[in-house]
Amino acid sequence: MSNQKKRNFQIEAFKHRVVVDPKYADKTWQILERAIHQIYNQDASGLSFEELYRNAYNMVLHKFGEKLYTGFIATMTSHLKEKSKLIEAAQGGSFLEEINKKWNEHNKALEMIRDILMYMDRTYIESTKKTHVHPMGLNLWRDNVVHFTKIHTRLLNTLLDLVQKERTGEVIDRGLMRNVIKMFMDLGESVYQEDFEKPFLDASSEFYKVESQEFIESCDCGDYLKKAEKRLTEEIERVAHYLDAKSEEKITSVVEKEMIANHMQRLVHMENSGLVNMLLNDKYDDLGRMYNLFRRVTNGLVTVRDVMTSHLREMGKQLVTDPEKSKDPVEFVQRLLDERDKYDKIISTAFGNDKTFQNALNSSFEYFINLNARSPEFISLFVDDKLRKGLKGIADVDVEVILDKVMMLFRYLQEKDVFEKYYKQHLAKRLLSGKTVSDEAERSLIVKLKTECGYQFTSKLEGMFTDMKTSEDTMRGFYGSHPELSEGPTLIVQVLTTGSWPTQPAVPCNLPAEVSVLCEKFRSNYLGTHTGRRLSWQTNMGTADIKAIFGKGQKHELNVSTFQMCVLMLFNNSDRLSYKEIEQATEIPAADLKRCLQSLACVKGKNVIKKEPMSKDIGEEDSFVVNDKFTSKFYKVKIGTVVAQKETEPEKQETRQRVEEDRKPQIEAAIVRIMKSRKILDHNNIIAEVTKQLQPRFLANPTEIKKRIESLIERDFLERDSADRRLYRYLA
Amino acid sequence: MGLSNDRIRFNVGGRIFETTATTLANAGRGSFFGALFDENWNLSQPDDLFIDRNPDCFAVLLDLLRTGDLNIPPNIPERLLHKEAMFYGLIDHLRTAKWGPFDGNRLHLSRSVTGIAPGDGTAIRAGPDGGCCVAHGSVVHVFDWMLEEHPTINLDYQRVNDVGWIDSGNIVLSACERLGRGDGGMGLFSSSSGELRYKFQVSHDNQIKSYSAGALSFSPDSKIFTSCKGRSNEYGIGVWDQITGKQLDFFYESPGWSLGDADKLQWLSGKNCLLVATLFPRKDNCYISLLDFRDKNMVWSWSDIGFLATAEEKRVRDAIAMEESNSICVVNEFEDLGFIDLRMDGGGSSVRWSSRSRLMKSKMPDEPCYPKLALHEGQLFSSMNDSISVFCGSDWVLTSRLKRSYGGSICDFSIGGDRLFALHSEENVFDVWETLPPPII
Repeated sequence: MSNQKKRNFQIEAFKHRVVVDPKYADKTWQILERAIHQIYNQDASGLSFEELYRNAYNMVLHKFGEKLYTGFIATMTSHLKEKSKLIEAAQGGSFLEEINKKWNEHNKALEMIRDILMYMDRTYIESTKKTHVHPMGLNLWRDNVVHFTKIHTRLLNTLLDLVQKERTGEVIDRGLMRNVIKMFMDLGESVYQEDFEKPFLDASSEFYKVESQEFIESCDCGDYLKKAEKRLTEEIERVAHYLDAKSEEKITSVVEKEMIANHMQRLVHMENSGLVNMLLNDKYDDLGRMYNLFRRVTNGLVTVRDVMTSHLREMGKQLVTDPEKSKDPVEFVQRLLDERDKYDKIISTAFGNDKTFQNALNSSFEYFINLNARSPEFISLFVDDKLRKGLKGIADVDVEVILDKVMMLFRYLQEKDVFEKYYKQHLAKRLLSGKTVSDEAERSLIVKLKTECGYQFTSKLEGMFTDMKTSEDTMRGFYGSHPELSEGPTLIVQVLTTGSWPTQPAVPCNLPAEVSVLCEKFRSNYLGTHTGRRLSWQTNMGTADIKAIFGKGQKHELNVSTFQMCVLMLFNNSDRLSYKEIEQATEIPAADLKRCLQSLACVKGKNVIKKEPMSKDIGEEDSFVVNDKFTSKFYKVKIGTVVAQKETEPEKQETRQRVEEDRKPQIEAAIVRIMKSRKILDHNNIIAEVTKQLQPRFLANPTEIKKRIESLIERDFLERDSADRRLYRYLA
Repeated sequence: MGLSNDRIRFNVGGRIFETTATTLANAGRGSFFGALFDENWNLSQPDDLFIDRNPDCFAVLLDLLRTGDLNIPPNIPERLLHKEAMFYGLIDHLRTAKWGPFDGNRLHLSRSVTGIAPGDGTAIRAGPDGGCCVAHGSVVHVFDWMLEEHPTINLDYQRVNDVGWIDSGNIVLSACERLGRGDGGMGLFSSSSGELRYKFQVSHDNQIKSYSAGALSFSPDSKIFTSCKGRSNEYGIGVWDQITGKQLDFFYESPGWSLGDADKLQWLSGKNCLLVATLFPRKDNCYISLLDFRDKNMVWSWSDIGFLATAEEKRVRDAIAMEESNSICVVNEFEDLGFIDLRMDGGGSSVRWSSRSRLMKSKMPDEPCYPKLALHEGQLFSSMNDSISVFCGSDWVLTSRLKRSYGGSICDFSIGGDRLFALHSEENVFDVWETLPPPII
């Protein structure tokens, strides 16, 4: 050991390390450091970029990258510390301006420093995975200026104060605001979000919480919505002016939550100005505003829609169940149409034609229209009214519009077959009495019904039109082959196919001889050309035009029903007839006869015969004479029949019964169709499927379906499963 | 600004150059010239701008900015030029101009780099920016696109099985383990410094196990796949995340089907599954399969078990999936190409060998190498002995052959960064093939 200690001579390393000036690095760095100082002091005009770049390059090349890197950070940090002191010293309003000014200076300096250090950026920093010059410069600014304790909260509060001022109507320097906030964005998304956006959103939330509370206490719903809308546009504008575009969604959701979502129920139900009030008063602007604001929040539109639906249902229920209002069917339907028009307009102008609102409207109508069992009848009556007289002088296009609207109501009906029944009756009356105004309108409606409900629904209705057409041809043929008949009374026969028309039991009645001869001729003529048919006379449905001469020689043409004609013709042969005599001669059923006589004798201005004794009602002991004193301004006088336009109670019952009767085969057909394809099915499923299949026509009653199933079982179409009694089997 | 003001005079290392600001603007803002002419810098003097650099190189780089073409006079060393380009911040311009977009039919031999490895090369892999790495025994030599060699990489000095580039800065290396030592496996390295950045671990039943890593593959959604051999049953394919480095998944080898020894892995983006091929001579038979990791299912498989008696000479030596034509291309030791249909399970159990006449009529070299396959933008490459054949079109017609006179058989080749690298077994030399820049007209 001690030996070794002696050998203290050293052998010089053979390799001569080429060392540049040992102070080379320090000297070069000093040049660069001075340049950085000059750049920060805005005294860079004398600097040579080439020289500085070359020096920085050389430092990296000679492995002094680390020194260069740490040196630049230290220099920049000290400058920024100085700057933050200057910013801190700025008073009041100049604070933001100062920070903005210094930020711009820093950015420019940073750019120049990066230019100088470009080579280091590409090589040394790249290979050592350090932070590049530019992001490092931003980080230093963030840490030494923005996060500097004496600036941090002051800066935030200044910004929030300015926003608050702007919200309360003051004008602020938006350009400066934009620049400062842009600084946060440049420093990185997280800096913007943490140091500005989040506190901004919190402050906004607090502000709107207070403000919305104030508004809701003092404003009505319409005004409140106006204010909320204004605030919302203001915030969106604010974002466009000086915030990051990504903040728009966040700040609007704050406003939405505080101003709308939190007060939604209260707004909608606000007394005297809430949604119902707006609907009642057609406040399209307010409604539109409500729609646009509420759609922004969860469940907003659902709330609006629910309130509208319940209002509609309540209103509709009152409309259809008020006995006063259902007195006049035409008015009843017109009122429904008006309501629909009203809400259609609201939905199209204020609710942007929102499908869900349309659906709500439809379901509400469907709900309350079917609350009144007479709706199908009324709708048919409405159409009847329109097609009898209402459409005169209305352009074709408008006719279509009215018919389309009626179809809309029709669609809501659950019992479409009931409508069909009535429609058939009413159509028959129109056709037979020649009261149809427009053949085109009639056919157009049939086409609509056909597209809505299918061929089956309208085949009989179309048959009625065909019958009318054929009858015309037949009559032309009849008179063509009997030219001798041009003298004397004219008989016009409409041959109606059984089944297509709503037939009432044919009431036999004795026609006057003149007429019955003609009828016989027609019968033989018709049956001669159409073998194998049977004709029966529906005297209860005919009309007649007869000429009459009264006491002072006044001539009138009377338009009467067939029954009335039969009665009047009797007076050609005798002056006075008793009720019994008339009944005997004509054999008209008592009820019809009474009605007929009533219309001839008891209607003021139309009383072509007199009744003795005078009274309103016809008695079995009454007797009748021609009213010689009858006068009328018109040559043609129409004697109406006392018929209730609306159905009487027993008639209604009868129609109802017929509808029920017609439904039976349809239900059975549906059951068989379903069972044929499914073979085995349980009770509940059958009911469900049948109901579904028949929906377009009517709402089948489950008990009725059950009865039909029983009937089918009796007739061996189905059987119950022996093991599981709830199952039915189809028997082929 | 008048036209005359556009003129710039430089004095570069004593020689005067005249050019325009417009030409120099081609250098971009992130270059020396971009900064020099930025308004931040007060470029006041009207005289010549002095730059203390080499004038010859400046002339080359100025022409590069003027024409976009790179012409290096023979008297200028490339290294010097690269260094000058680094100074001016024009290195990317230089790289882009140096060679054209890859086309297998227009390649020319750009350089041959001789290695100093004591044994045969294992693998060569092209990097995304034109660099490459070569695995020899237990070390990996890394070259950047300038073909400058960087510090070598090794993982515990174990035999390297495969290497691959994650990006131009990161290389993954898979290596054998010495039984029970817990070394080997798979590691992530810096391509510039050769430092180990991360060592991937495999765990079974929450216990970290040592393993040997084999073939590698990467998917575009940042996954790394490798075949793993553990101690007992831990054979199969491991999956890691490139970013977190965490093990994501493990596909255990099913009995009778070799995954842990796989020679080749290939991720198929379109089918969302991994091709695994285990080939002769590592195993007596060839196994090719497609794995779907989502439901741990082998969705397609093929093996030559039972087929060899009749076709002894047609042993599959490499395989590559071609998603566009729904097939797998295979090659045997005579460079016959064969195709297996991916749409039929087991490929209909047969390989459709292409019937073209035997291409290799030449004398076999002393030390033959197994053929390798590569696919690049619709061109198929197949190496055999000392040459690489290029096939094109739907019928894979032979269109070009890359060959040079020395270096012996090609043991591996790789395409990437618009370059083709071929590693020879003798001399352990590797060749760099590049596409020429597009013609002038």
